[in-house]
Amino acid sequence: MTEGSAAGAHADKELLAVHALEAGYGKIGVLHGVTLRVAAGEVVALLGPNGAGKTTLLRTLSGLLPRTAGEVRFDGRDMRDAGPREAARAGLVHVVEGHRVFTQISVNDNLLLAGYDLPRGERAARVDEALSFFPEIAAKRLDRGGALSGGQQQMLAVAQGLVRRPRLLMLDEPSAGLSPVLVDRVLDVVTRLRAQGTAVLLVEQLIDKALAVSDRVYALAQGQVVLSASAAETDLHHRLERAYFGA
Amino acid sequence: MSATTSEATGIEAAGGRRFAALLPFLALLAIGLVIPFVGNEYWVLIATRIAIYWVLISGLNLVVGYAGQLAIGYVALFTLGAYTTSVLAAGNATPPVPAFAALGIAGLAGAVFGVVVGLPALRLRTFYFAISTLGFATIVTQIALAWQDVTGGGIGLPGPTLPEPFDTVTGLLYLCLAFAAFSTWITANIARSRFGRALVAVRDADVAAEATGISKPRLLVLVFILAGALAAVAGGLFASLQTYITPDAFTFELSLLFFIAVLIGGRGSILGPLLGTIILTVLPEIAAPLAAWSTFLYAALLLVIVLAMPGGIAALLDFRNRKPLPPGRAIAPRPDAVRTLVAHRATPDILSLRGIVLSFGGVRAIDGLDLEVRPGQIHGLIGPNGSGKTTTLNVISGYYRPETGSMMLGGHTLAAGRTTDRAAHGIARTFQTPRLIGEASVLENVMIGGTIEGRATFLEALLSLPRHRREERVMEQRARLALAAVGLDGVTEVRADRLQHSELRFMEIARALMQRPAFLLLDEPAAGLSAEEIRRLAALIRAVSAGGTGVLLVEHHADLIFDICDHVTVLNLGRILAAGTPGEIRVHKEVVSAYLGA
Amino acid sequence: MLASILASGLAVGAVYALIGITYNTMFATSRVMSFTAGQLGMLGGVFGSLFILKLGLPSILGLLLMLAACALIGVMTEIVAVRPVLKSLEQHLYVLTTLAVALLIQQFTAIQWGTEPQPFPRLFAIGSGVWDEKYWLPVVICAVTIIGLEYLYRRTLVGRAFVAIAEDNFAARALGLPERNLRIASYALAGAIGGLAGFAGGQLLLAFFANGPLLNFYGFIPVALGGLGNNRGAVIGGLALGLFQQAANFWVGGIFSSVAVFTLFIIVLLAAPQGLFGAAASRRV
Repeated sequence: MTEGSAAGAHADKELLAVHALEAGYGKIGVLHGVTLRVAAGEVVALLGPNGAGKTTLLRTLSGLLPRTAGEVRFDGRDMRDAGPREAARAGLVHVVEGHRVFTQISVNDNLLLAGYDLPRGERAARVDEALSFFPEIAAKRLDRGGALSGGQQQMLAVAQGLVRRPRLLMLDEPSAGLSPVLVDRVLDVVTRLRAQGTAVLLVEQLIDKALAVSDRVYALAQGQVVLSASAAETDLHHRLERAYFGA
Repeated sequence: MSATTSEATGIEAAGGRRFAALLPFLALLAIGLVIPFVGNEYWVLIATRIAIYWVLISGLNLVVGYAGQLAIGYVALFTLGAYTTSVLAAGNATPPVPAFAALGIAGLAGAVFGVVVGLPALRLRTFYFAISTLGFATIVTQIALAWQDVTGGGIGLPGPTLPEPFDTVTGLLYLCLAFAAFSTWITANIARSRFGRALVAVRDADVAAEATGISKPRLLVLVFILAGALAAVAGGLFASLQTYITPDAFTFELSLLFFIAVLIGGRGSILGPLLGTIILTVLPEIAAPLAAWSTFLYAALLLVIVLAMPGGIAALLDFRNRKPLPPGRAIAPRPDAVRTLVAHRATPDILSLRGIVLSFGGVRAIDGLDLEVRPGQIHGLIGPNGSGKTTTLNVISGYYRPETGSMMLGGHTLAAGRTTDRAAHGIARTFQTPRLIGEASVLENVMIGGTIEGRATFLEALLSLPRHRREERVMEQRARLALAAVGLDGVTEVRADRLQHSELRFMEIARALMQRPAFLLLDEPAAGLSAEEIRRLAALIRAVSAGGTGVLLVEHHADLIFDICDHVTVLNLGRILAAGTPGEIRVHKEVVSAYLGA
Repeated sequence: MLASILASGLAVGAVYALIGITYNTMFATSRVMSFTAGQLGMLGGVFGSLFILKLGLPSILGLLLMLAACALIGVMTEIVAVRPVLKSLEQHLYVLTTLAVALLIQQFTAIQWGTEPQPFPRLFAIGSGVWDEKYWLPVVICAVTIIGLEYLYRRTLVGRAFVAIAEDNFAARALGLPERNLRIASYALAGAIGGLAGFAGGQLLLAFFANGPLLNFYGFIPVALGGLGNNRGAVIGGLALGLFQQAANFWVGGIFSSVAVFTLFIIVLLAAPQGLFGAAASRRV
């Protein structure tokens, strides 16, 4: 990877630091003390079997879910009272699972809404910038969100995240329900973001594809980090298998 | 050994508590009886009004407090009863009818219209139902106003004159107190019976209620009949108290008094709403300047109750559930108790699915699934997210109707989409998130599992006849056994929403075991449990299958699956990826890669 | 005859439609059906009469003050009755809290304003017979409101944010939209629309404290017919209801017309609980 050195330059600057995080839904605890970190400009894959708590972790980080215990720091700032709006303003942007774009309004409006908090004059430029990553939906910017295919909706969802010019973009299973070509297309954007110096926290089921675009990997199982490794490490599959199924 | 003694003491203690619970009612009745001797006629009238209101509210309490149906327009049935009694007694439309016969006919009319008003509740939810009862109340008043030759229109007509000795102020009070005492007794009987528990289950956990075989429509119709009859009788008594009735007497504010009395009293209680009725009726009387503001105060009280004290008066009086629970209590299942519980329900039948297909919006959630669950076997169902595991359980228990495919249990076809007949086929289940009846005790939650076995009719329960009482005893004993089996016998009397998450999971299993199922479907029972609790769960599931019950287990904890299953089916994208023994599956290449997502 | 049925039917129908839109506007951002919708309609009439007739303010000033006051009541509803129970939407506590607030409003009005219906001022004194102001005013105001709402939802970012929240509240929050502020704004808007309904129909319904429950019921029918959140459905449903009611009133008389309306309402609800233009129910398990 040619961009490797560029990313490496600010890799030591800590962007997101999560310590002993606990969260869940009502009485049900899902995260039991998650500790991890993401440096500026690096791509980190978050793997794990279903029910492990990956989605819950992202939702807690972006303030969609309250935390029960533990600490989240983003760029040195304590995110205790930050809701999703504050998180997005700080540059921590979450693209939720299941390409949930708004089907009743146009592609352009979907993107304008993502920039709701931006100064009025800047919105159009930011929308164009985000669309430059996805020429295939730029051509459909006046169509309703509901008229897009599943893959295009996923691109739109990622583009919504990009409107905010995130410093850390959290993507929750961007490949779900997409054909292999589209998966590559979406993950290609991750590589481009990395080249720009944007950090990405990527939740993915497709391990090999995720590893191909990532610097580091965390694996989650039953609400805890069970593995932390470099994406380049050999034998990663066996270690994951052991981490999930027990020795 | 110890189990039987603890059961015996448990039942004795329950008897003692029941007497203690009766005391406040007897005290209130005694106060009502002595009022003519200590108070003036004004207070006798107020006591009579309280008794009359309570006849209606005791029935409405079952509708609102127990079944959770927001019927805000019950004044409609009250008006109906008042006018029916008065019109019949006056002979405006028919030859004059004796007052008590007119009251009886009004009760029948109330029963019929109680169902008519309630009918929308069978299909509509909350706000829709509330609005439809509001509409009904508006219309009854309009009819009373406009149907002049019968109702006297705005001028009104005289109320019925009751025969001696009820034609005096005191006589009428005693009559109304007798009605009030009787309606307290019958509604309390229903509330404590399997019908009452089922009402609360339909309110708080309708999905779980269906899985235990409770049919909401039948249940609600029975309660609407009872509440309607009581409301109309109350109306008739009210007419004779008023001596002359006009539509003005039946304002919407009166309807709100009824409704709010129940809510202030607290859901799922008899004493609370009774106290609520007394407070709301007496409050404006003792503070005369408040009279104009009374409805305003009712509304403010309602707001405060909902926001700050959702349990109402009943929660204030519920001292037992304010004691802290012992911390660090462990769940200790007793597999031997499981065996006594389920053994005699074993069946040679196989639960089989053939060619099941189900899509959601073009996506095939299940795509041609064949599955066989054998008695006495633990069958694991695993797969990545969205592979169709829980959907399969929901097809089996009837929540989803597959497009094609068939389900058989032994020689019988399981009708697709019929949730309430699964319990009768011996199929029980738990849910991904425990479906608890939060305001009922743990014991009552479990007793729900025995609802469909009850044979005593609504009428037998109403009058607490011997067969009903016998059945209740048997059910309670079995529920205690089921709780001992899952290791929750220490918290039987505790309100279920006070339990920890892991305890709720075991409570749901106890409810399923209460059904003595031939097949038990478990949806992620280990989610949120500690490692030690998972080990105990494993032993419990083994004991259930050893008793001959077939278990279908959906689970993410791979180690639990591989540890206890006899057979494992792996789903991916709604299809079977692999099937075999845990040993075979564990080394299956495609399974491992599907799990790892490679 | 036909002309007068048409005139009065369209007029009351327009008022019902506006109350229906009031319900929808609150529902869109909060999933809450509020009993205050009818009370806002009642207040529109009372405030109009108070400001213009009692205090003698110019009509336009009276209208603006009424809008501001009703918007404020809308915001108050959100703070007192909706926000505290949003987390427990499943338990439908909002039915009780909004009912309580609606009653507080009604009783306060009864005590401060009086329990007798009081006249509502003629604003333009234009038209007579079936072209009387009291018939055309509600229709005109309803039309203006709809055009205004269409502009809001289609042409402004705030309006599209409302649409987005109504469609997928979770995704809207995840996107960083100020969901709470937008909800408050929609309650203010709903308050103004509800007030406008009562103001428009003031000459028909008078300034009467007990109009609330009636408007609650008749304003809800268009929503039930058109499907929750569907403003176009509410307008069609409202006008149809108004015409049906006035026609029944004329041909079979007062009581039976209300019986007919009620029966029709129940039948439609039982046959099509999602409304005639509504979407299917969500999954339960």
